[in-house]
Amino acid sequence: MGYLPLANILHHKLRSVLSALGIGIGICMLVTLSGLARGSLAEVADRWESVDADLIAYPDIWGENITTLAGVALSDRYAAKISETGGEAVENVVPVFLWQMKLAGQDHMVAGVDPRDWEVLTGGRGIERGRLFDPQGRFSAWIQQRLGGDVENSDEVIDITPAELADPDHCGLELVIDSRLAAAGSYAVGDTVTAANHEWKIVGVTPVGGMARAYIPRRCAQFLFGGADITKSTLMFIKLTAPADPAGAIPKLRTAGLQMAPLSQYRRMLEQKFAVMFRYVDAVNAITLIVAFLFIMITLHTMVLQRQRDIAILRSCGASNGFILRQVLTESAMLTAGGAFIGVAGSFGAAWAIEAARPLLTVSITFEWIVIAMAAGAVGALISGLYPGWEATRVDMVEALAWE
Amino acid sequence: MSESKNKNILLARDLHKSLGRGAAKVHVLRSLDLTVRRGEFLAIMGPSGCGKSTLLHVLGLMTGPDEGRIVLDSREVPDDEPSRTLLRRRHIGFVFQRFNLLGVLNAADNIRISLRVRGLEMDGRAEQVLDQLHLADLARRKPAQMSMGQQQRLAVARALAHNPELILADEPTGNLDSDNAKRLLELLRQVNRQETQTIVMVTHSATAAETADRIVRMADGKIVDTNV
Repeated sequence: MGYLPLANILHHKLRSVLSALGIGIGICMLVTLSGLARGSLAEVADRWESVDADLIAYPDIWGENITTLAGVALSDRYAAKISETGGEAVENVVPVFLWQMKLAGQDHMVAGVDPRDWEVLTGGRGIERGRLFDPQGRFSAWIQQRLGGDVENSDEVIDITPAELADPDHCGLELVIDSRLAAAGSYAVGDTVTAANHEWKIVGVTPVGGMARAYIPRRCAQFLFGGADITKSTLMFIKLTAPADPAGAIPKLRTAGLQMAPLSQYRRMLEQKFAVMFRYVDAVNAITLIVAFLFIMITLHTMVLQRQRDIAILRSCGASNGFILRQVLTESAMLTAGGAFIGVAGSFGAAWAIEAARPLLTVSITFEWIVIAMAAGAVGALISGLYPGWEATRVDMVEALAWE
Repeated sequence: MSESKNKNILLARDLHKSLGRGAAKVHVLRSLDLTVRRGEFLAIMGPSGCGKSTLLHVLGLMTGPDEGRIVLDSREVPDDEPSRTLLRRRHIGFVFQRFNLLGVLNAADNIRISLRVRGLEMDGRAEQVLDQLHLADLARRKPAQMSMGQQQRLAVARALAHNPELILADEPTGNLDSDNAKRLLELLRQVNRQETQTIVMVTHSATAAETADRIVRMADGKIVDTNV
């Protein structure tokens, strides 16, 4: 059944390759763009889920989506209150100050965290090169000393000079980055980078996979980006005592002004936040695939026009409409199969090239999207082959053979 | 009818066929009657434009007549295309002037595809018929790699492959030199005698027509003379 379509494909090599390439580009775009859009978000969600916590606490004025939450938002007093309310059910509360900083040419969410809580945010990944920032908590101690010890009740506006801030003994402007950011920016331990109007010293590199790409001392983040108010953070991670029931714990722990969500909901929040982008990407993919299949349809249409004599020969032998239609659809399916192979192989190549050129991007080529691309290819092949196939069944055999 | 069943493979009665539309419409076949006897080698001659090829197309069920009836192997040919296709597939083999081989397939595959089209999976039949027509060595060659004479022999092999009762040949020697034409006519004669297949051949060539058992002449869409 298949050998006449195959012979036709092999006989018209350039046209066949171009047709398969057209399909391949469409499928490659579908898999790669989806992999890029969803992969980058999934990578962020994976990193947040690596935090050793069960709940996120954040100000209730923020609504239900905290994916863009940053800066001063939540009093640190809530940490003690949550622990007190939860009692033995709460194992740990970790306040985090989030801020955007531009590193390696791209904005990143930087996490300000106390050195003692740092392992919570990185899921215990440790340091692969260098050391943790402010390991002895010197900056925190120094800033508390400047405030007279009572940090939470102080309303003093302290005046710290840039030189004091940058003093290496205070360990304030120290930065730990993950290995991916280090690769993207060609950063090494000991390098100094300028971000958020300050000179930061990279003191350590952590394996990729922790909550943020970069970490700084929380007190420093509060002081620099919270208007010198070191009593407020952005959100808090809550670790429950095992066996944890995050959804069940929320009503018990929630207090006025505080909203809580299971950590596992962060992925859904991201997907909701970028739902419009997914629609855009999917629309672009759909248009690309439609163009690719129109290309196949035009190719097959041209093929039918060019092969009217061959079709007439088959009909003179008694070929049924079904036989003729199957020949065209088989050829379409073969071109599409070739295109799908090119497209899937190309998407792996594109993913490698994108991640090599832009290490901060994640292209996730998933089995699910390969199957979706294949299914789209199969449906597209059928649809794009139907009209030319129908045309082929209507070839006037006498007229076509008379052309000679 | 019973007599026809025994003696005649094909009957055409009061055939009318027009080609073209509107002002360009030409009445090609005009109340044509023809009887083809089972096992005979019939030649149809006539000047260009007299309707020979159109008659062959109608007799070969490639197109239907506007009016009239055709009886093939004792069965009235229905008007609908699927029925004509079915009868054409089972009973008829064609040999064309320009061979009409599929250029993308080799010689053996040209025969195999004609068998597949007919729903026949006959193992070794392609090789058998190529051997019968002394083309076995060329089985893997594509038509473009063969001489004109070889191509026409391949076209005959394809027409014979499914053992049709009736072979219709439209100017089969028209593109061949005299030596190849002679060999082809000998081949058709041999097929007619040894395989007992009925052959209807349209030709301009009086020499070619002499190979036939019987010659009918056409003019203006009608049979005007028969030498029987």
